[in-house]
Amino acid sequence: MAIDVSTLLQILFWGLYAGCIYILLATGVNLIFGVMKTVNFAHGELLMIGAYVTWTLFSLTGLNPYLLLVATVPVLLLFGIAVQRLAFRPVLGSHKLNEIFLSIGLIYLFQNGAAMIWGGDYQSLRSPFESIAFDIGSFRLPLDYVIIIAVTVAILVGLQLLLRRTRLGLALRATSQNRKAAMLSGINVERMDMLAFGLGAALAGAAGTLWAVSGQVFDPYMGSVPAVKAFAIVILGGLGSIPGAIIGGLFYGVAESAATFTLGGAWKDAISFVVLIVVLVIRPTGLFGERGE
Amino acid sequence: MRTALIAIVIGLLLVMACFAGCTQQSVPAAGLKLGVVASMTGPASTTGKDVWQSAQLAADEINARGGVFVKSLGKNVTIQLVQGDDESTREGGIKAVTKMITDDKVDVLTGGFSSAVVTAHESIVADHGVPYIITGASSSTVTRRTDINTSTMFHHAPITDASASQTTIFVDEVMRPAINAKFGRPADQPLHLAVIYQDSPFGKGALDAIKATIAAKGLKIQLVAEEPYKMGETDYRTTLTSVKAKGPDVVYPIAFLNEEVPMLTQARRDVGLNTIFLAVECVDDPDYYKGLGQYGDYSIIESRFSAYAVPKGSINANVGEYQKDYIARFNASPGMMGAATYEGVYIAAAALEKAGTTDQAALLSAIGSIQVPEMVESMRNGTISFGNQYHESQFNLFMEQLRWDAATQTLRPKIVWPAELKETEFQIPDWYRPGGV
Repeated sequence: MAIDVSTLLQILFWGLYAGCIYILLATGVNLIFGVMKTVNFAHGELLMIGAYVTWTLFSLTGLNPYLLLVATVPVLLLFGIAVQRLAFRPVLGSHKLNEIFLSIGLIYLFQNGAAMIWGGDYQSLRSPFESIAFDIGSFRLPLDYVIIIAVTVAILVGLQLLLRRTRLGLALRATSQNRKAAMLSGINVERMDMLAFGLGAALAGAAGTLWAVSGQVFDPYMGSVPAVKAFAIVILGGLGSIPGAIIGGLFYGVAESAATFTLGGAWKDAISFVVLIVVLVIRPTGLFGERGE
Repeated sequence: MRTALIAIVIGLLLVMACFAGCTQQSVPAAGLKLGVVASMTGPASTTGKDVWQSAQLAADEINARGGVFVKSLGKNVTIQLVQGDDESTREGGIKAVTKMITDDKVDVLTGGFSSAVVTAHESIVADHGVPYIITGASSSTVTRRTDINTSTMFHHAPITDASASQTTIFVDEVMRPAINAKFGRPADQPLHLAVIYQDSPFGKGALDAIKATIAAKGLKIQLVAEEPYKMGETDYRTTLTSVKAKGPDVVYPIAFLNEEVPMLTQARRDVGLNTIFLAVECVDDPDYYKGLGQYGDYSIIESRFSAYAVPKGSINANVGEYQKDYIARFNASPGMMGAATYEGVYIAAAALEKAGTTDQAALLSAIGSIQVPEMVESMRNGTISFGNQYHESQFNLFMEQLRWDAATQTLRPKIVWPAELKETEFQIPDWYRPGGV
């Protein structure tokens, strides 16, 4: 069967969209790991909570769900700060196993908590732009996905500006590069931990909003698979490297889309890990591991 | 302070563990203990809740009428339900069924949604010889597999072979001629069918049944796409783009409710696949209509029980009463798996009365030879029985077409096939394009 260019472009476009969700999630994981040197296995659940927060606000206000990012992101930022302060800080610096089991425990806590608050049924929400699409030949460009890609770029630019152009960003980067030196130079590293975790949660919350608004259903148990992929992206891109997370996320999104198209949907998840294994065999530190931030 | 915080976190984790572990409730030991395997948590929890609530309704109805007379005891006993949450997973099902059999000592099991989940815990049921009235899983393997003893399993749900076969025949008998006529194509032109199937025994079984039906009956249907996807998938855009490129006249997803809603929405909204979608019966649930909204307009569901379309015949009044009671109690409409489980509880009660004892062998024999009049689902010969060699009850299946009512903002079905149950004619929408383009 001959495959036309517009079909290939469409597949690439869906990959870019999926990549946006992965990038936001993986960047959050990397930010937390970069500063705290902690892997938060419950990161996918923060995406799930973000989706539910947006859905709740949408149900209450009927406002444009993209506008609700302005509310969801701060809610998740504060939630992340609270989780870091109450759960992670007490075990920080103790045995790594404590951190691992804590975050695994949080997965179940968040899932059951969400099921208690919002019920176990799946939910979805509708974008006000869902009926708008641009057809270029047989290539279809729905407005929602253009917005999702634009919002992701805007968030990443904002994050870069925060990290590169502000004193707070400088302090975060200093803590990430050398915790002791940062502490000795007067930076409150515990505050930086809270901020990093909060920002990571906020990015996951943004990913959850975009997930929901793109017409994907969500339920309290949906966070695990995106989280596993985010960790794979982080390892692929290099632990602690935000550019690595961006490149890795895009690569994963496109690879999944290409695998689904060529090999079938059953290979969608598997191909990501095949790529991961190949990259790790060739370059154990990941694509950008040695240049981590 | 640090110690206190650690204590709080540990406390929270213990609370969480309690919530996670307390999904099975214990019951006092009396009467018939009926274990209900239901997906109370996890992706299939919408269906699971329906299964459990329907079982509750049936048991309460039976008990309110004084229970079931058991000859060996010389008195009436009540039906006591034991909930087993399979957590929508194979492992969860094994855990729940093991607990119900070994700890709760249930006499009979019913429920069981998802063929993958049921096939995983069937071996435990077989090892203990507990009668199991399976009301959710649709793969024929649940009573036809040969690797375990399935003599204690009774399948009260249409098998995928029957459902897929009926749908495929409908496509050939009704949809193909209508599409060919509308677009001026030769009457014998084959219809291009794309199948998007869950990569599980349920999905693969249905795909095989579609192929077997086409081959056995010589139907003029050409399969142009066979696209698998992983259970629980939420993003179908690439799969649908691939399907669209193959020019299908009709798309047949073999999918659960939480999968078909995003699939169909993404097909119409994002991919621009302007074709008619079919659906398997397990999606015929109020949440399906609500979830799809206008994107479900003109789509087709193969069904045996619908919240919004009741077939003519003896069950009509029963369905009305069942729906009224269910809505009054749970403030929601019942779904198909719940309806079958509702009947499953009555089957267990009838078997207990017939056996006159809770002895396992007697109960098995009674279920095997039972003849219960049809209740809320239309049955062949008007009777629920497990007479064939595979212990499968035989349903009358029908096809519904969904229509969006812009005034009420609701999506509702009408029966379009077979002729004896038909409420209206099958229609092709103006936006439909053969080849999906």
